[in-house]
Amino acid sequence: MDISYTSEQKTFRAEVRDWLAVHAPKSRLPSFDTAEGFELHREWEHTLATDKWGNVNWPVEYGGRGLDLVSWLIFEEEYYRADAPLRVSQNGIFLLAPTIMEYGTQAQKARFLPPMASGEEIWAQAWSEPGAGSDMAAIRTKAVKDGDHYVITGQKTWSSRAVFADWCFALVRTEAGSERHKGLSKILVPLDSPGLTRRPIAQLDGDPGFAELFFDEVRVPAENLLGPEHGGWGVAMATAGFERGLLLRSPARFQAAAARLVKLYQQHKDRLSGGVGEQVIHAWMNTERFCAATYQLVSRVQAGASISSESSANKLFWSDLDRHMHRTAMSIMGAQAELEDGLDAIDNGRWLDGYMFSLAGPIYAGTNEIQRNILAERVLGLPRK
Amino acid sequence: MDFRFTEDQQDLIEAAKTVFDGENTLERMRGIVAGNPPIGLWKQFADLGLFGILASEENDGLSQPLVVMAGIAEAAGYAGLPEPYVDVAGIVVPLLSQLKETELLEKVISGEISLGLITPLSPHVNCGEWCDHFIITSKSGGRCVARSEVTLEPRNSIDPLRWLYKADLQGEQNELADMHGAVLTAAQLIGLSMRMVEMSVEYAKDRHQFGKPIGSFQAVKHQLANVHTQIEFTRPIIHLAALKGGAAVHNAKIAAIDTAMLAAETAIQVHGGMGYTYEVDLHLFMKRAWALCGDWGDRHYHMKKLEDYVLNGGANLGPGETFKGET
Repeated sequence: MDISYTSEQKTFRAEVRDWLAVHAPKSRLPSFDTAEGFELHREWEHTLATDKWGNVNWPVEYGGRGLDLVSWLIFEEEYYRADAPLRVSQNGIFLLAPTIMEYGTQAQKARFLPPMASGEEIWAQAWSEPGAGSDMAAIRTKAVKDGDHYVITGQKTWSSRAVFADWCFALVRTEAGSERHKGLSKILVPLDSPGLTRRPIAQLDGDPGFAELFFDEVRVPAENLLGPEHGGWGVAMATAGFERGLLLRSPARFQAAAARLVKLYQQHKDRLSGGVGEQVIHAWMNTERFCAATYQLVSRVQAGASISSESSANKLFWSDLDRHMHRTAMSIMGAQAELEDGLDAIDNGRWLDGYMFSLAGPIYAGTNEIQRNILAERVLGLPRK
Repeated sequence: MDFRFTEDQQDLIEAAKTVFDGENTLERMRGIVAGNPPIGLWKQFADLGLFGILASEENDGLSQPLVVMAGIAEAAGYAGLPEPYVDVAGIVVPLLSQLKETELLEKVISGEISLGLITPLSPHVNCGEWCDHFIITSKSGGRCVARSEVTLEPRNSIDPLRWLYKADLQGEQNELADMHGAVLTAAQLIGLSMRMVEMSVEYAKDRHQFGKPIGSFQAVKHQLANVHTQIEFTRPIIHLAALKGGAAVHNAKIAAIDTAMLAAETAIQVHGGMGYTYEVDLHLFMKRAWALCGDWGDRHYHMKKLEDYVLNGGANLGPGETFKGET
């Protein structure tokens, strides 16, 4: 075992740190779930991409630096240390991009990855339906082949950032009469397509962070099919692995929050009862455990292993630790916890925002109940029925 | 950065695991509970070189880092080994090396004798009756005393495979012993937790109610999935603790305690009434877990260390600090 960074990695860390010190916004941007905030975050993606910092682990030809995953972790550490903006392009760069790299044609890679990297095209995910949440194989939205087009009809929901985004990656039923996991395909759809209506859904914070998408005979070129026709389930599972597994939530995000939680505790400790300190320590401990486990997973992936069911344990662990950490912060803030922003709101309501978002963690990317089923059946070997 | 065991290290751990699992069968453990002598595998461990994992090559050792010993300790925990092998190979041997007690060291590595520790964080000497010498630890190292210089009084553990003794002498805390003790005990707790989950899975597949295996019910599945998740997120911090020391050691021990207690309570719940009896073997592993939770620094000892480090100290916390050297 070797837990030292190479001198190249140390130099890289210093380079990231220096660049962020100059370029990262000095104050927090407005939420990317507002029209104004979305565009400011898009500009930030463009700034990142201009100096090739947006996706350091991508191949050079698509706007990356061709670096390994340890370098990506280092980048993330410096990024959250600098308190740089959340990534408005996260569904694209962390979830769709690895899928395109694995399943896409050369033409698709060339067409979609560079504008995704630059923030010119921001992606949303269109998988869930009113009747297909945890039971994703119940998808009913259909795509019918008509010459060199697919014609899509149906309804998608819980599509994060789709109100302002440019494209979505949809999972739809391409094979008429097919059931469950069979006959599904992944299709890339421009969100401004004729026949596609977006209805914003206000999230807990009141901002339209989700959209419901209504497809009324939306025509999409057949070349927008990603991966094999009718083989979309396998493609989607690969994306879900990235999502729950490694890329979506790197440890740095939580480690930065834990360090802020310690400061919050120190500012308020005189009026706090005894048990809170231990909760704060626990929050820090969990982020360190998550970090150690992530480096071990990355070491295995770099040695050729693929991420499979362990992504479910990963998702359970980070979503639980995030909720616990923010719950602890809410408890420390006491009567000030409810203040959303403005006068007397601690850190302008950042912990409250974070707490609300942490409640979504155990739900999105496959509910934690589904993850526990996956672990119990596929890892522990308990019977399905 | 390659946070994995090398192939050689993995082979070594696997070899130890094969011996532990192959020799310390459930049947053997039941036999010892019924009165058979407990330290019968001592010579076999020595023949395989297992006491020399941390010893230098000039002392016939393998000169491995502590993290490899942690991998072996996990296997020992999983097997429920009654011999105090981990403490001897993982703490006594490096202490003897540090104290330059070459003669005793050779005898321990060759399996000729066993040697116990008289030290504050592990106040009971397991299998003390079979020890030839004792190390009374001190801040700077410690001193060795012969069995005849120590009066031992038995103590009764709930774990029927631990033979505890209280010595009439007292040691002081020692950095090496305390660090190795906490890391290796944490590793054993993870091995025990894995074993308890495995036994529960087997039981839940076998036991039918309402016409189905109880393991098909989500109420059972989800509890075991939670324990599995805690195990997977405790092992890496134990490895980090072994390599780096410092605050990670306290994190590792607390995480292992919480995981093992969760594993034990979940396992007995899944076993239902059977888990409350000597009819199934779960209790052997559960009781060992209870015992090791308090050994080599209990939860409060390690939590107080983290209070200093996280809450009161000037330590750098946050992203990018985990793999840096301790400040």
